[in-house]
Amino acid sequence: MDRNKIGKWLKQPAKMANKYSLNAVYFCTGCGIIEIPPVITARWDAERFGIIPVATPRQGNLFMITGYVSLKTLRAIIRTYEQMPDPKYTVGFGSCPINGGMYWDSYNTIKHLDRYIPVDGWIAGCMPRPEAVFIGVTHLWTLIEKDMANGYLRYREHYDQYRGNQEKLLGKLDWPPLYATGIAQKEIAA
Amino acid sequence: MRELELYFGPQHLGMVGNFSITLKAEGDRVLKATANPGYLHRGFEKLMEYRTWIQNFPLVCRINVVEPDHVEMAYAMAVEKLAGIEVPERAQYVRSIYLELARVGSHLFGLWAYANMLGFDTVAQWAMYHRDLVLDLFEELTGGRVYHIYIWPGGVRRDFPKGFKDKIVTTLHSIGGCVPDYDAAFFNNAIFHKRASGIGKIDQRRARELGATGQVLRATGMKYDVRKVAPYAAYDKVEWNVPVRSDGDAYSRIWVVRDEMIESVHMIFKLLDCMPEGEVFNKPPNPFKWKIPRGEAYARCESSRGEFGAYVVSNGEDKPYRVHFRTPSYPHGLIILEKLLENANIADVGNTMISLYVVAPEIDR
Amino acid sequence: MNEGLKEKLEKAFPHAAITSMRDTDYVVTADKESVLSLLAYVKDAGFDHLTLISCVDWIDEGEFELVYILSPYMKDNEQISGNEKINLILKTRIARGNPAFQTVTHIFENAEPYERELHELFGVHFEGHKRLIPLFLERAYDIPPFRKDFDTRRYVKEVFDNIPAIQDIKA
Repeated sequence: MDRNKIGKWLKQPAKMANKYSLNAVYFCTGCGIIEIPPVITARWDAERFGIIPVATPRQGNLFMITGYVSLKTLRAIIRTYEQMPDPKYTVGFGSCPINGGMYWDSYNTIKHLDRYIPVDGWIAGCMPRPEAVFIGVTHLWTLIEKDMANGYLRYREHYDQYRGNQEKLLGKLDWPPLYATGIAQKEIAA
Repeated sequence: MRELELYFGPQHLGMVGNFSITLKAEGDRVLKATANPGYLHRGFEKLMEYRTWIQNFPLVCRINVVEPDHVEMAYAMAVEKLAGIEVPERAQYVRSIYLELARVGSHLFGLWAYANMLGFDTVAQWAMYHRDLVLDLFEELTGGRVYHIYIWPGGVRRDFPKGFKDKIVTTLHSIGGCVPDYDAAFFNNAIFHKRASGIGKIDQRRARELGATGQVLRATGMKYDVRKVAPYAAYDKVEWNVPVRSDGDAYSRIWVVRDEMIESVHMIFKLLDCMPEGEVFNKPPNPFKWKIPRGEAYARCESSRGEFGAYVVSNGEDKPYRVHFRTPSYPHGLIILEKLLENANIADVGNTMISLYVVAPEIDR
Repeated sequence: MNEGLKEKLEKAFPHAAITSMRDTDYVVTADKESVLSLLAYVKDAGFDHLTLISCVDWIDEGEFELVYILSPYMKDNEQISGNEKINLILKTRIARGNPAFQTVTHIFENAEPYERELHELFGVHFEGHKRLIPLFLERAYDIPPFRKDFDTRRYVKEVFDNIPAIQDIKA
């Protein structure tokens, strides 16, 4: 870490801490997971960037959606995402979560991930190389610093729409809403 | 004691891949296990009906992420059978070398998963590093690290670049030089031996009944290997052995994997020595207008997990009428895993699953 | 392969048509009544590895074609007899209207997930199967998705393209 940034550290310690200790949720959502083991092991060594995989979503703050998302996985992703504590950052990894990628006409994969959960950044490619992961992460640092990685705030703000989209696709969800929805939300805001 | 229902996966450290098992347990003993696949179902075989024969190659390699090459091979062989395309002799050798490299890489990935799962982190780091060296070879040969799309009907896309043979030899020597380290730290390690022997034990009769192939069958003593019993590519051109073990448990399976890796490396050296010169690609007709006569074909090859097959039906059109892949993880993950987990310990669930080498996208397709 | 098996099959099942497509692929076309006994017969004859059960939707003819692919395991742990390279492709046709067939799980135990898959993706009902519950899919589809009349591109347009993007409505 840069010593010259000590002033920054003192100003916003929480933000700097978030930035340099990204705990990635260990969830193999799609085929992009094949590039994660090289990234976190000796050769590419993601710990240089402060990324380390953690066992449970309750300890994580970085969620990498690695690859295409089928309907069954979407349900698991939403549950995992809602369990993570704030602030949390989501990165879509690979082309498929962006717009469906090569599965644009598949009946069982969703096409636009950002219509169901908020996404802070994308890493394009199939597969993205390990270098691309690191570039993505350093971009995420910039976003965090500028308060632009605010997916978790957007999720709270537009929870009505997100939950609506989720239920439109998956049917009635069998867990209670994370935030108050509908009229209750407006009352709280007022 | 109270009966518990446990969900093992899809978000679980002991789970490699997006797969889930529902366990009914009493104390820490599993009474019943139900495999719950489908998290990666994309409907490949349906999508392939909408794409031309050649357009399907980028799709098929995504069926198995860990070693896409054997899927390409199975599909290409089926298309060759249907269309009656001959493959030049040099291409057969190139294919074999390429597939064996893929097998080494895939086994190293499996070794990473297994060592990582059991807490042998050092070995896991080595295995992943060595796999990366193999991926570097692929990158030079095909341009892709993970997905290569190298095998086409009629041969391979391009010949070995200049000096590539030496690179293969150097890389494999540097990996092979670490085998004693692997043996000392992992395969002969007393802790590992105690942890893995007796886990997920299956006898040969039962394995045959349940449709096992690959290491699961070879760990029970049968020398069944598609490369040997129904040779394709250049596997009948050189001498090699099928490594077997007789106990049928997780320890035997991982030893079969180890021996297979070494055998593959030897095979690559032999193939490199006797590789003929010549063309590597019989160019098929214009892919946009290529129509394959009506018929059906089933082709199979030995992937690093077992028998991989492709059943392709053509309607005389420029697109396949129906494609169905036979994947080795299918019987391993959906039946054998369920049977082996009955009366197992909860702590052994991940151990059993990874020793069976189950790759989830292969099941779901 | 041994020509013997072909003759034996022809003798035991006079209604089954046997052709050898290539030297390693044998295709047996049988009517649906004799499939079960044929499978049991070839299992005893050495083809004890059921590799794949597949289904082809011949929509123009109004039929489903069930395909059983078998190959032999080695008889001996060491020796290869040469039969192992043969794939036996056994085909039968069933009506597409109300597709139902007998399960083969009592002959080949590993047929269970294959039949479950076909039940889900083609809507073929297998009588006697103990666990015909969904395997892969999350949503219910009007037409089972692998049938030819299920148009996945139209389905994607109707379902996924109708999910609206998140609007930033800051009042």
